[in-house]
Amino acid sequence: MPLLEVKNLAASYGALTVLQNVNLSIEKGEVVSLIGSSGSGKSTLLRVLMGLLKPNAGEVRIDGEKVDYGSRSSLKSIRDRMAIVFQQYNLFQNMDVLKNVTIAPVEIKKRPRADVEREAKAILDRVGLSAKLKSYPDQLSGGQQQRVAIARALTLRPEILLLDEVTAALDPELVNEVLDTVRELAAEGITMLIVSHEMGFVREVSTRVVMMDKGQIVESGTPKEIFENPREPRTSAFVSKILRH
Amino acid sequence: MNYTLQYSVVLQQLPYLLGGALVTLQVAFLSFWLGAVIGLFGAVGKLKGNRLIRGLINAYVVFFTNTPALVQIFFLFYALPDVGILLDPMTAVVIGMTVNTGAYLTEILRGGILSVRRAEIETAEVLGMSHLQSLRYVILPHIAKTLFAPLSNFFVWLVLGSSMAAVFGVEELTGRAINISTANLRTIETFSVVALIYIALTVIASAALALVGRWCFRVTARIF
Repeated sequence: MPLLEVKNLAASYGALTVLQNVNLSIEKGEVVSLIGSSGSGKSTLLRVLMGLLKPNAGEVRIDGEKVDYGSRSSLKSIRDRMAIVFQQYNLFQNMDVLKNVTIAPVEIKKRPRADVEREAKAILDRVGLSAKLKSYPDQLSGGQQQRVAIARALTLRPEILLLDEVTAALDPELVNEVLDTVRELAAEGITMLIVSHEMGFVREVSTRVVMMDKGQIVESGTPKEIFENPREPRTSAFVSKILRH
Repeated sequence: MNYTLQYSVVLQQLPYLLGGALVTLQVAFLSFWLGAVIGLFGAVGKLKGNRLIRGLINAYVVFFTNTPALVQIFFLFYALPDVGILLDPMTAVVIGMTVNTGAYLTEILRGGILSVRRAEIETAEVLGMSHLQSLRYVILPHIAKTLFAPLSNFFVWLVLGSSMAAVFGVEELTGRAINISTANLRTIETFSVVALIYIALTVIASAALALVGRWCFRVTARIF
C-alpha cells in the first residue's frame, strides 16, 4: 500500500482552476520531485495536501486512511504525519532557534520538554546549527534559517516531508548548504515530496520525477527517463529549456 | 513684582501629592487595560465581523475619536443622572477614558493584526496550532513587538490625560494640586512641583515600559 495516495484531486482559487485530475502515489522511502514551470500547480499541490487550500474534488489517502479536509481532527492527524518546509522559511520571529523547533512538539503535542529539547538539539546539530540555539531568526543567514525550518519539520517526526522550493529564496552560495541537508535526509530514507527548480539536485536525489503543467500531471518517471528520454513534448520542452543554461 | 517663592509649603504636602500621583497611575492603568480589551474585540470584529458588526464598530470608533474625552466624561457624569444612572467621579472618569481608549486602540490593534505575515499564521496552522494557540504563540507576541512603541506612547498620553479627572473632583495629582493651591495660594510653587512629578511619572513609566519591551519582546527601544 502506498504511504501517500492522491486520486483525481482538483482545487481552485475562486474561479481559477489550479489543480485538476491529479493522481500520484508515493511509497515509503521514496523521494518524489515535482518539476514544471511557475504556476503549474506544484506548490499548490503541497498546500492542498497540508490542508491550506481545500480540494474541490478527489481524495487523498495516507497509509490507506482517507483524509477529510473538512474535519478538524482529520486535519490534525495529517499534520501529525506530514510536515512542510516553505520557500520563505517562515520561522517565528519572536522565538529563538530552539523555541522555533520545539514549540509544536512541546506546546501542541504535549511531549515532555526535556525529551523534545534533547532531540531538537541533536537534529540542529545534524543540520550544523548547534551553535545557534539561542539566536533569533533575524540574526541568521537565509541558509541557516532554512536549515532551522527543516529541523523544525523533522522534530515533528513526520512520515512524509514536503519541501516547497526550499532554496528558491536563497543566495546562490547558500543553496548548497541546504541541499546537502536534504541529500542527507534522502540518504537516511525519509519519504519526501519535493518541489524544486534545482534540476541537478532533483536528478540526483529523486527516486521519481513528476512533471506538472497547467495544474495537471503530464508524466512521471525515473530521473533518467524524464531528463534523458521524456515521452511528452511538454516535458521535453521544459527540460531542454532548463538544462540549456 | 516682589513675589517670593516659598517651596517649603508645597514640599510639606509632598506625600499628599505623591498619593495623588498614585491615583493618576491607577486611572491610566485601568483605562489602558480595560480599553485594550475593548480594542482587541473591536479590532478582531472589524477584521472578521459581518457588515453589521463592522458598521457598529466603525460608528463607535468615529464617534469616540472625534469628540473630546472630556465631553464624553461630562456626559457620563452630568447627563446620565437625568435618566437615573448616578456614577461616582472615579467610576465616570475610568469608564469615559476606557471607552475613549478602546476606540483608539481598536484602530491601533487592527493595524498590528494586519501586520502579522500571513505566512507565519499558515505555518502555525500546519504545525497543528489551533486558532487560540496561534493567537497566543504567534499573533499576540508579534503585535506586542510591533506595537510596543505606539502603545507605550498611548499609556503616557493616558497618564497626562487623566488630569481631566480633576474637573470631576477625583483627587488624583492635578486634583490634589488644585486643593493645595486654593488653600495655600501658592499656585506657581504648587503647579511647578506638580509638573515635575508628572515628568518624573512619564519618564519612569517610559523607561519601565522600554525595559519590559526589551526583556519580553526584543523591542530595540531607546530608554532615553
